[in-house]
Amino acid sequence: MESKSMQRPAAEAAEVEKIQIKDLRFYYEDYEALKGVTLTLHDKRVTAFIGPSGCGKSTLLRVLNRIYALYPRQHATGEVLLDGRNLLSKDIHVDSLRAQVGMVFQKPTPFPMSIYDNIAFGIRLHERVPGSEMDDRVESALRRAALWDEVKDKLKASGLSLSGGQQQRLCIARAIAIKPSVLLLDEPASALDPISTAKIEELIAELASDFCIAIVTHNLQQAARCSDYVAFMYLGELIEFGPTERIFSNPGHPKTVEYVTGRFG
Amino acid sequence: MSLALDKSLRSAAARSQSSSLMDRIFSALVLGSTAIVLLSLLGVFVALAVGAWPALQKFGFGFLVTEVWNPVTAQFGAVAPIFGTLVTSLVAMLIGVPISIGIAIFMTELCPDRLRRPLGIAIELLAGIPSIIYGIWGLFVLAPFMQQHVQPLLIDTLGELPIIGNLFQGPPYGIGILTAGLVLGIMVLPFITAVARDVFLTVPAMVRESAYGIGATTWEVVWRVVIPYCKVGLLGGVMLGLGRALGETMAVTFVIGNAHRISSSILAPGTTISASIANEFTEATTDIYTSSLVALGLILFFITFVVLSISRMMLRRLR
Repeated sequence: MESKSMQRPAAEAAEVEKIQIKDLRFYYEDYEALKGVTLTLHDKRVTAFIGPSGCGKSTLLRVLNRIYALYPRQHATGEVLLDGRNLLSKDIHVDSLRAQVGMVFQKPTPFPMSIYDNIAFGIRLHERVPGSEMDDRVESALRRAALWDEVKDKLKASGLSLSGGQQQRLCIARAIAIKPSVLLLDEPASALDPISTAKIEELIAELASDFCIAIVTHNLQQAARCSDYVAFMYLGELIEFGPTERIFSNPGHPKTVEYVTGRFG
Repeated sequence: MSLALDKSLRSAAARSQSSSLMDRIFSALVLGSTAIVLLSLLGVFVALAVGAWPALQKFGFGFLVTEVWNPVTAQFGAVAPIFGTLVTSLVAMLIGVPISIGIAIFMTELCPDRLRRPLGIAIELLAGIPSIIYGIWGLFVLAPFMQQHVQPLLIDTLGELPIIGNLFQGPPYGIGILTAGLVLGIMVLPFITAVARDVFLTVPAMVRESAYGIGATTWEVVWRVVIPYCKVGLLGGVMLGLGRALGETMAVTFVIGNAHRISSSILAPGTTISASIANEFTEATTDIYTSSLVALGLILFFITFVVLSISRMMLRRLR
């Protein structure tokens, strides 16, 4: 932990710490998938998690909104402080936690309802919003997800009728509509074509000014293009964490060198 | 050595010859088994049509719209049994569908892992209980209970309401349309539950997690995401249950009261197509009586065929 924090550049001191993960361990029944991970995610910054399959990066993301708690055989120990509150503690209300921490998955997951309702559904779960204001909220979420111009004439159409890339932006719109402060993106472009991927990356860059974003990706170029920090994980451990530029230009750990130069993966 | 080689070659040739013959016999056997199924289907239809012909010829279209069922005067009409069949099945669906979906939701969304398998097995066993057992239980246990407790309550409460009250009139017989529908509802539970559970499991984990991930509760996830996602498959399951309810004979015959008349009250006795046939086949002394019963069978065959076809189509669209 010490060595990692020492690697941080001085400029980072001005950054706001949003999520502090301390000695996080995660178990699928008896299998330990995260072996004591400690790191900090900064507000209004994009942190990319890279590493070979099975290294625990998606698992880490699934801890941050406690979605793993749906499965009784999975559990986590350690501390994850979101704005200073430990979200692993029992007295955290998961529904309100999930309003604060939005998640977008590997594949688009629009709900079987209209485009409008896909957005409004999430908002209504947490707030009472009158109709006209709801229209504004839906529009602004779709605008922020760079989807408004494409769907404004067919808000009543099913969310499932959109293309894959549009569906994924709809899911991002749905996540940001409930005004979270953290966005978790689990390989959000892995099922998309290059053009849709570019749109998603552009969108991530724009959203970074307002959210603390954690993105899991298998695509190193993507990590290089759209993140401020990179966390390299391997076999359930955090090997190296630092500013994106340094991790790619001057990695400190031999494993990281191997991975970012494509020698294994 | 050459002799040994020769021998082994010969035996290999013989083996391949006999195995290709075996293979052909095997193919013919399985093809034959399949053909038997299709021929039976066709045979049933033809036999029904031929058997029903005298009645259809005599009564014509009137058979479908006449309520009279009088063996003495040899006047037969199918309206009462058709009506009873449809109404008992409707009652069965009203009772069975919500409960089945509830069970399926519990099994897929809420049930602890340890309980899931035993529960699945229990529901499959429910499907395995012979219908005569349901009939005996319906007549000796359920019907008296309905007569003494449920039906008087319905007559005193819902029976007092305007319009809807017409459904709950008359003396509490115990047996009747409602009791038959109730037994049918229980009988179709396992079928609808099994299909509903299977279609709920087709919802991708990621879609579920997305809904939970924006803070939805189990109720909201099920009601707004899982069920709409499975609409078509669920409807297929309901149709499958309906197909079974329409054709069920023994249990219904025990508890429906076997009266060839149409009543606005669901407490009144009635009859269904299959109950009429089962009850009256042995007493059908005239040809036209027998033929009328067979014609009833043809109508039932047609109704269930259509319902089950719709069910298949819906379930196939799901895959």
